[in-house]
Amino acid sequence: MEIRNRLAHLREKEEMALIAFIMAAVPDEDLCLDCIRALEQGGCDLLELGVPFTDPLADGEVIERFHHRGVKLGLNLKRGLDFAARVRAACQLPLILFSYYNPILQMGLDSFARDCREAGVNGVIVPDLPLDELGRLAGQGLELIPMLAPSSTLPRVQMAADLDPAFIYCVSVRGVTGVRSLPELEIKDYLQKVRAVTTAPLVLGFGISQPEQVRAFQGLADGVVIGSALAQIIEEYESRPALLPGMLEKRCQALKLLSYWEVRS
Amino acid sequence: MIYPDERGYFGRYGGRFVPETLIPALIETERAYRELAGDKKFQQELQFYLKDYAGRESPLYFASRLSASAGKARIFLKREDLNHTGSHKINNTLGQALLARKMGKKRLIAETGAGQHGVATATAAAVFGLECTVYMGSKDMERQRLNVFRMQMLGAEVRGVKKGSETLKDATNEAFRDFIRSFEYSHMVIGSVVGPHPYPMMVRDFQAVIGRELRRQFLEQEGGLPDRIIACVGGGSNAMGIFYPFLDDPVELLGVEAGGKGIEPGQHCATLSRGNDGVLHGAFSRLLQDEYGQVMDTHSISAGLDYPGVGPEHASLRERGRVEYVQVSDREALDAFMQLSQMEGIIPALESAHAVAYALKIAAALEKESSLVVNLSGRGDKDVEEVARLLGGDESGN
Repeated sequence: MEIRNRLAHLREKEEMALIAFIMAAVPDEDLCLDCIRALEQGGCDLLELGVPFTDPLADGEVIERFHHRGVKLGLNLKRGLDFAARVRAACQLPLILFSYYNPILQMGLDSFARDCREAGVNGVIVPDLPLDELGRLAGQGLELIPMLAPSSTLPRVQMAADLDPAFIYCVSVRGVTGVRSLPELEIKDYLQKVRAVTTAPLVLGFGISQPEQVRAFQGLADGVVIGSALAQIIEEYESRPALLPGMLEKRCQALKLLSYWEVRS
Repeated sequence: MIYPDERGYFGRYGGRFVPETLIPALIETERAYRELAGDKKFQQELQFYLKDYAGRESPLYFASRLSASAGKARIFLKREDLNHTGSHKINNTLGQALLARKMGKKRLIAETGAGQHGVATATAAAVFGLECTVYMGSKDMERQRLNVFRMQMLGAEVRGVKKGSETLKDATNEAFRDFIRSFEYSHMVIGSVVGPHPYPMMVRDFQAVIGRELRRQFLEQEGGLPDRIIACVGGGSNAMGIFYPFLDDPVELLGVEAGGKGIEPGQHCATLSRGNDGVLHGAFSRLLQDEYGQVMDTHSISAGLDYPGVGPEHASLRERGRVEYVQVSDREALDAFMQLSQMEGIIPALESAHAVAYALKIAAALEKESSLVVNLSGRGDKDVEEVARLLGGDESGN
């Protein structure tokens, strides 16, 4: 309910939700926790926590590097969930776990659902489980976040809507995650197509990095996910860990404040 | 039971485990394929290219000297090495390139390990006037240099992948990423019976020409069916192609995996013998992975078998007990490579040498008049440099 409540509350205030994606425990646990606190401080509304996987084929170059770094550090789903529990204790943000399917399959669905509950995880995104296979995770009380893409046909939009999800993750480009500019009009058409079918909150992700982009989709989307842009900041400043959290906080503020004032001005 | 079912499952294995973004492209591909599979004109066109361009049918050759040296059994070779581009891969790439053209796609994307599938895709792209991008692990680019040049000469762009294991697994990830970005104008030509539905079915169907020919040839030459068929298995396309038309016959089917240097994790790629259930590259199948579901690094002397996954239909055939999957080590494959070269004047691909090695292993114990067909899936020109290096290393004691 955490995610639903938070998004409903923001919708009431006509405020765009800012969802920050960060890879669990990279570069290391403590610095990552500092980063997460900074994101919360900067005004981010929900946190998406990535679990490093050897073969992240939905992810673009930047996030992919974090997957490989995480794998090299010996991270996996079990350690990702342990880290999620630390995140839970360190911040108030609703927590969405992002994991590829194979690690969940190996852990076993029962254990995965139980560990998610115990760690205080509020929702789960599995990028390589399309709508037809999402049922594999059903019946465990997990809040599953379905994904749609600009290429999704109406029957698939309906499939996502029928799940009555906490929100629908609308992939904003025909592609993988990454920082790049969006074909704005096309995205607007696509959001309107989905909106016509469902009242569920729509969150736009993949390729969002600038405040102007957030502004462009105000009123059409309920929120945006920012991931690769934050990862780039982490890469740039991790050698100066004292500066890193501040940089992340500033980027969040810029995205959040702008969307806040846009509505009210 | 006809496999796969409409959701792309062979029993419990198969399916579509890819980002939602890609689903419409897979649905479109499946629809186009099903339409063309029953289309007489398309089949005639494919037949034309297989015959007049690729040189089919491939001969069935009785290897008398090899048989005599191995024991009493009679060893036959299905000569896929004699196809245009030097392997069975062309059967599939011609089919998929024709399909891509019918779908109005302008560009082919391929992943490649040994480079055989990359070369076959680059070739099909050239003959049909399509653009071509091939992804190849940087480690494989080194050990299969000759094929890199060949692809470039055919007009393809070869993109090296310097990530993860730097082999076929990571090249496949990268090819999928390209496909997700570009499917409106590109078709991904997967080279094996792996990947999301409809690929395992489609690649099997295009490769099944091997088994259909063999059945007719063996009947003509020997007046019956062979007792055993042996094929190497990486992803499993040459094996699936030669096994498929015999699944309902009393023929023993043997799939040979790469045992590499030994049974320790990371030292082999015997996915069916040593892996367990998992999802990689869009299908639920068998997989070499650690206890946390991270996909493992693998090793084989043969770049084409160096892959931690395997086609879902093989996983199903293993579970049903219809096909027996066995292993052959690097060393045994190398010995078979030399033996076939010197006894029959045929230099096999290192991949195919695994199947030859297993045939030699069991031939001694087989009864007289027992017949055994080895799918000689590719020729070994590409491996000559690597084998020379390995043998040179042995002689100097390294």
